[in-house]
Amino acid sequence: MLWFEREVVEALTRSRDPAVRSGVEAFVDGSLRDKAEHVRVGLATQSLLLGAYARGLRALGRLDGDGAVAALLDRWEASRIGVLRQYVRALKALVVFAENELAPAGTP
Amino acid sequence: MATLDTEILVIGSGAGGAVTAARLAESGHHVTVAEEGPWVEADAFEPFSLGEMVAKYRHHGASLALGNPNIAYAEGRCVGGSTEINSGLFPRLPDDLAADWATRYAIDEFSPDLLGRYATGIEADLGVSTLPGAPPPSSAALERGATKLGWRNVEFARAFRYDTEGRGTKQTMSRTMLPRARAAGAAILPDCAVRRLVRRGDRVVAATARRRVPGGGVERLTIRADHYVVCGGAVQTPALLQRSGIRRNVGAGLRMHPMIKIAARFPHPVDHGDVPMHRVTEFGLDLTIGGSASRRGMVAVALADTGLPFDDALADWENICLYYAAIRSEGRGRVLAVPGLPSPVVTYRLTDADLSRLARGLVHLGELLLAAGAVELHPSVLGGPVVRSLDEMGAWWDGVTRGRANLMTVHLTSSVRMGEDRRSTGADSFGRVWGCANLRVNDASLLPDAPGVNPQAAIMAIAARNCDHFLSEARP
Repeated sequence: MLWFEREVVEALTRSRDPAVRSGVEAFVDGSLRDKAEHVRVGLATQSLLLGAYARGLRALGRLDGDGAVAALLDRWEASRIGVLRQYVRALKALVVFAENELAPAGTP
Repeated sequence: MATLDTEILVIGSGAGGAVTAARLAESGHHVTVAEEGPWVEADAFEPFSLGEMVAKYRHHGASLALGNPNIAYAEGRCVGGSTEINSGLFPRLPDDLAADWATRYAIDEFSPDLLGRYATGIEADLGVSTLPGAPPPSSAALERGATKLGWRNVEFARAFRYDTEGRGTKQTMSRTMLPRARAAGAAILPDCAVRRLVRRGDRVVAATARRRVPGGGVERLTIRADHYVVCGGAVQTPALLQRSGIRRNVGAGLRMHPMIKIAARFPHPVDHGDVPMHRVTEFGLDLTIGGSASRRGMVAVALADTGLPFDDALADWENICLYYAAIRSEGRGRVLAVPGLPSPVVTYRLTDADLSRLARGLVHLGELLLAAGAVELHPSVLGGPVVRSLDEMGAWWDGVTRGRANLMTVHLTSSVRMGEDRRSTGADSFGRVWGCANLRVNDASLLPDAPGVNPQAAIMAIAARNCDHFLSEARP
């Protein structure tokens, strides 16, 4: 998993339970490794470009504080640009699935 | 490099491969089955769970057909193939469709009567049946909604056997045909990925494979056989043929049943351990309505599809079940093996008419679920909207666009196609690949079109028919 992908996964994972968080990260990491090579290359390219953009925002002081990455992802998810929407959806689907499958029984 | 000799090499162990292995082994042939995926004990994981995704699905269950929009699909990658991960629903190939295909694609010996006899035999082998008791709430909702609207619906039979207390066990290939094949002397090689077929003239002379060995290593293996039967499914089969230099009418023409989903919230708990058995057949084969696996993780992903806040609904997930509208698409796709890439590139071009039909399906599904008592509907459409009454559903007509619809499928077919017209098919009426005397295909790739119903029963009946044809030719 690339550094920005790890950051996205951390931002999308809502559970505070360390076991769930590490389980989600492991599942997403395994899923990304297991993707078809051309799909993985496409996603990794997006991660590098979007990660560089996020770094730029951070350098300008426009991506600071808790929840800043999550807010950025929310904007991308609602963007008119298809690849941005698809990027967020691809990672969000993995995170949401894993987090809910790994949630201890009785978790609301 | 190790070498292995056999009489018949079956590549793939899903619905097509397992039937092929069992029938040919039981007829006295020496059969070896090479399966790319691992052997996973049948009860090792809960159905549709995260553990099962990792162990039994290709790409962790997140394969993708590229297009506008992309369409997610799922494929099994384990001994037993997709029969290990599907719902077990077992509707026959409709007679009208079989007759139409026989004529349109010039398929010999493809009458509904003949296929029906094979289907009857397979159903008896697997114990295909309907539920012994009342349907679970998720399935009853489909029946109730359809009945209220006056729409035809039916409980599909499944490849399940039930014990005296009504508990069902899915009759996957690892539980049924593969043990039969093994009992008749067949060898099954899990973790053995055939990468290429080596041809000389009009014959295949060997298959080259990579096999994982205990301890984590990989062994190169050459398998020599008299006959080769490729049964890797509609994506892997054409990819292997292309890697082996066989490209004519191979990979193009991929068909599927694109589906759009709704997460329906009811005022009462629904079951989540099974897939609803009822299907709405009111709209013919072009548009079917049914239910999906609805574990918590899947419900959460479906709720997230709208991109709208879903905490409140997720807290109530035990009252939520997933349903779908699936179409027979006009569009076509392609499987392309790219040199240097182990995974084939899969593309699919959805037509505007397909999108329109999906929008109609979504609205019909919504009507049905509200009639069944659902109180809140979350469509798999970015921006939703979430709907609580019929009046609000009008927005869905415009919402199903290429940019907003989240589509998926589990049924892929037709990437080789059988028939006697060499200009449009990759194999003859019985799956023999054109130009290769000892190479056959026997899986979903052969279906000339998407069947409009779950394809497992059709795949198995056609595979059995093709095996009998092979045996009749092989007989001295």
